[in-house]
Amino acid sequence: MAVELSVPRHRRSALAGAAAFAVPIRYLIASAFVGFCLFPFYIVITTALKNEHDIFAWPPVWRFTPTFANFYNALFVFGGQGALTFVINSIVITAFSTILSTGLGAMAAYGLARFDFAGRKHLAFWILSTRFAPPIAFIVPMYLMVQKLGLLDTRLALVLIYTSMNLSLVIWLLRGFFTDIPIEIEEAARVDGYTRLQIFRRVALPLVLPGIVTAAILSAIFSWNEFLFATILTQTRAATLPVYLSGFSNAMGLAWGPYMAVGVIAVLPIALFTLVLQKHLVRGLTFGAVR
Amino acid sequence: MERDARRAAWLLISPAVLVLLALNIFPIVYALDISLHYWRLAGLQPPRFIGFNNYRLLFSDPRFFNAIVVSATFVLLAVGTEFLLGLGLAFVFNARLPGLASLRKIALLPVMLMPLVVGLVWFYMFNENFGVVNWFVTLFGSNRLPFLTGDRLALISIVVADLWQWTPFVMLVLFAALQSLPEYMYEAARMDGLTSWQIFWRVTLPMLRPTILIVVVIRAVDAFRMIELFFMMTKGGPGGATEVLPWYLYTAGFTDLNLGYAAAMAVLMIVLVTLASQFLVRRLAAGGG
Repeated sequence: MAVELSVPRHRRSALAGAAAFAVPIRYLIASAFVGFCLFPFYIVITTALKNEHDIFAWPPVWRFTPTFANFYNALFVFGGQGALTFVINSIVITAFSTILSTGLGAMAAYGLARFDFAGRKHLAFWILSTRFAPPIAFIVPMYLMVQKLGLLDTRLALVLIYTSMNLSLVIWLLRGFFTDIPIEIEEAARVDGYTRLQIFRRVALPLVLPGIVTAAILSAIFSWNEFLFATILTQTRAATLPVYLSGFSNAMGLAWGPYMAVGVIAVLPIALFTLVLQKHLVRGLTFGAVR
Repeated sequence: MERDARRAAWLLISPAVLVLLALNIFPIVYALDISLHYWRLAGLQPPRFIGFNNYRLLFSDPRFFNAIVVSATFVLLAVGTEFLLGLGLAFVFNARLPGLASLRKIALLPVMLMPLVVGLVWFYMFNENFGVVNWFVTLFGSNRLPFLTGDRLALISIVVADLWQWTPFVMLVLFAALQSLPEYMYEAARMDGLTSWQIFWRVTLPMLRPTILIVVVIRAVDAFRMIELFFMMTKGGPGGATEVLPWYLYTAGFTDLNLGYAAAMAVLMIVLVTLASQFLVRRLAAGGG
């Protein structure tokens, strides 16, 4: 190495690539990007609060008197059947599928993290690959299966499908969390006479609580957002929010206000959860590969 | 492994595996079976076995080839832009300056949104007659543009909606990777007299490579399956210019009711995605095992 001891010519900020941008430019680009990220939120919320005349106005109206009529109409009046039943279906289906996928996923994750059996790697490998199969490829067989079981337009069908959809994510995320626990803690519990399953429930599970919360929130968001299976497998009784929103195209593209209002309802809880999740979002969405 | 341990492992793992067998493996096998039949939804005759005929038809179907080209174009454009923007932004955010961390957190808001709502709001903003994007366009003295009905523009508009949602994610993953790079590498490089540009090409980029691979493959797989934006914004139009594979499969199955044909497409898609994601899965499996 040609070490230059005398002149610290390239003495710059210690951070990687820090020299590439001057401070004001950094703030400028960062703010512009955040503005770009926030602008559509502003549009959804303001459009939901506008009356019909302002929604179609050209040029766009920036100052207007907000009205909550769109929310009221969407939830209770609009189209004869308000969005409220869809909201309730979404909540119920999301809750049950989240409990199932997080519960079953945590069990399997612990099994894969702590027990060394033949074919363990292949099993983990296969579980991960289920994440990559495109849902669209499953709609035809899934539709016929659900039809034959007499489960079309039931919440149960969506609960089961969303559970299986989220398992790979939960298992891979939690497997990493379980592996991070120092093995000595569990060995100590063994000495104290705990069985394997007791160790899982009373020792390991409480220690990975942040992981459980992350996995549950991510599963809930994916179930809440899911559109494809919901639109094919449900009609009215079990239909969820995305099914309601997809009806927009049948409304001749005219009912912007109520649909934007439902959009706000569909999106606000997710935005809050995203802020809560922050720290673990990257780890969750990359199956623990990036922390 | 002792017997009680084996029993415990089996008890813990089997429920999840059963769910996946029933709702992942079985549908794939079933799709294969359906694809070998002439199978109409709500048809009066029972499905008729026709061997590989659906596949043969598929390979002489110009709509299918168009869908492949459109899908590939969309994935390349969307993921390519998201990667370049995300990488640049990761460097921008990679500094200890007051307020920058808060901005980074706010930028994350679009990532987990319901894709259908993303489609709805961009559909509204791209509207030719009253959309706010066209308002910005006219500010620059141009005429209003047919963002969703122009041959080329329609696909680009959907790319914009997609990159709005996913650039923050790519940025954050690469940012996390940048933060984890060891400091001494840079010190050594600087002592060797490398310029910032050389450091970027010879030190930073090679060390980011594994993370770049992961995030690009995840994004490509997800962009390939994306259907919500197309459903909301263009419905495959104008004239097939935005008809991606998922959209063609959807219409073949549930508009034309030709289940066998749609299933053949599904089987090909699964094979394609499995091959494409194979090496990533291997890498992750090796790392976490």
